[in-house]
Amino acid sequence: MSQPRSSYAVGTGLFIVLGFAALAYLATQTSSVANVRQGDSYVVDAQFTNIGQLKERAPVKVAGVRVGQVQSITLQPGRDVAEVKLSIDKLYDRIPQDSVATIFTSGLLGDQYVGIEYGSAKQVVAAGGTLARTKSTQPLEEMLGKFFGAGGVVDNVGGSYAVKASFTNVGTLSAGAPVKMAGVVIGSVQSVHADPVKLNADVVLSIDKRYDAIPDDSSAAVFTSGLIGSQYVAIQPGGSPDALKDGDEMILTQSALQLEDLIGKFLVNGSPSDKKDAGNGNK
Amino acid sequence: MNARAPQPRNVLTQSLAQIGACGLFLLTLLAAVPRSFRYLRETIRQLWFVGAMSLTIIMVCGLFVGMVLMLQLYHVLSIFGGTSASGMVVALSVYRELGPVVTALLFAGRAGTAVTAEIGLMRATDQISAMEMMAVDPVAYVATPRFLAGLIAMPLLSCVFCAMAIFGGHLVGVTWLGIDNGTFWSNMTAQVDVHTDIINGVLLKSLAFGAVVSLIAVFQGFTTPPTSEGVAYATTRTVVASSIAILALDFVLTAFLM
Repeated sequence: MSQPRSSYAVGTGLFIVLGFAALAYLATQTSSVANVRQGDSYVVDAQFTNIGQLKERAPVKVAGVRVGQVQSITLQPGRDVAEVKLSIDKLYDRIPQDSVATIFTSGLLGDQYVGIEYGSAKQVVAAGGTLARTKSTQPLEEMLGKFFGAGGVVDNVGGSYAVKASFTNVGTLSAGAPVKMAGVVIGSVQSVHADPVKLNADVVLSIDKRYDAIPDDSSAAVFTSGLIGSQYVAIQPGGSPDALKDGDEMILTQSALQLEDLIGKFLVNGSPSDKKDAGNGNK
Repeated sequence: MNARAPQPRNVLTQSLAQIGACGLFLLTLLAAVPRSFRYLRETIRQLWFVGAMSLTIIMVCGLFVGMVLMLQLYHVLSIFGGTSASGMVVALSVYRELGPVVTALLFAGRAGTAVTAEIGLMRATDQISAMEMMAVDPVAYVATPRFLAGLIAMPLLSCVFCAMAIFGGHLVGVTWLGIDNGTFWSNMTAQVDVHTDIINGVLLKSLAFGAVVSLIAVFQGFTTPPTSEGVAYATTRTVVASSIAILALDFVLTAFLM
């Protein structure tokens, strides 16, 4: 009994060792423990007005190369700036005092990280020092909003009048969607119905009484706010001396543009050579 | 548990009676754990049998699962130009689902059936009764060591399976299909989390599966009718019941752990 026992005992021992070796391999080589590994580091403060989706342990990069990570994000009570502590590798201890810390997004939908652009000052920022110059995150919605001329504050709609407009395609426009002029909300969509005869979409817009001087040759267009935002109706004023009245129909309309078409056009026209993005570390 | 209850006609009551008897048997097993420490050598022998001897099949299957997963993902992800994420998707799907589940299914087929057949034959040849005659507790000597061995072996086998699957994915993705080596690993390490994926995914799930499979195998062996036909029937039932239990438990565990 003792001879076979020692052989299977050794085999069993080997099996257990192999199992734990596999576990150690999974835990250290294929998971984010590998990211946490960091040598000696020093801490630098930076203050941002908007950190967006930045999280603790997000990377800190210089020229797109990881030099450290975000240690903590705190908000001081009574102040509206976020205090971000960056833990940077001791190896990179010569960051100029006037460097700019910026919050970037890797890719279109990627995670956010802090990028440091070197300044030219002689003094370097010391451990525990502060990077005074920062650039906060630019929400994608704001950028696209600027681009599309959208994004505004919702007004309280008081007394209103109804105007009809018919579109060949309203996209995902639904009742209750805002009606905007110059990016400002001036009313809302009352109803969206398909016309059984003309085979297009009849939209009834309810516009605030205060805006009673909209020319009757103004055009209505269905726009999208942001990249994947909801749709709204934008009114572009025309030049007619007569104003729109209750029950009028807007003749000039522009249907919803499919975002897919837009991006498709953009991708086809955009030159592929200028796609270099130093900040985008892992593609 | 030695006296077999008269078989009820109804399928529903029958399965309910089975589940109830299985639960009671688990209590007996757990109560026998302190007594079975005397038979530590037997536990090690069983660990060798159900664990170390299953390594070959687990490693080969893990390798092929990783390889085929990578091959499939590469072709789907190349439609969206996202092939660099395929290493990460292989790692996540293996850690969270495929690793523990496939290991448990293989374990039920490789080790569970053997345990049921062995204990069933012990019953059929009156060895269990002989042990009782000699004042050796058959639960502490036969059942508990096999149960504990399965409980210990499953997480270890599952880790080996996952490591081999990653290796297989790397082999196909990097060596054959030409995904960049650095991208493969950095995407993987960026997304795999030790707590949610490895501890909750691999270890906890496979521990639960190991307990269920071992319990069903030992229970079926102990309650088999002492005939050759009964042993054959019990062995089949071990595989069927284990597979259903693994897949059902997997859903429940995923729902709670995610």
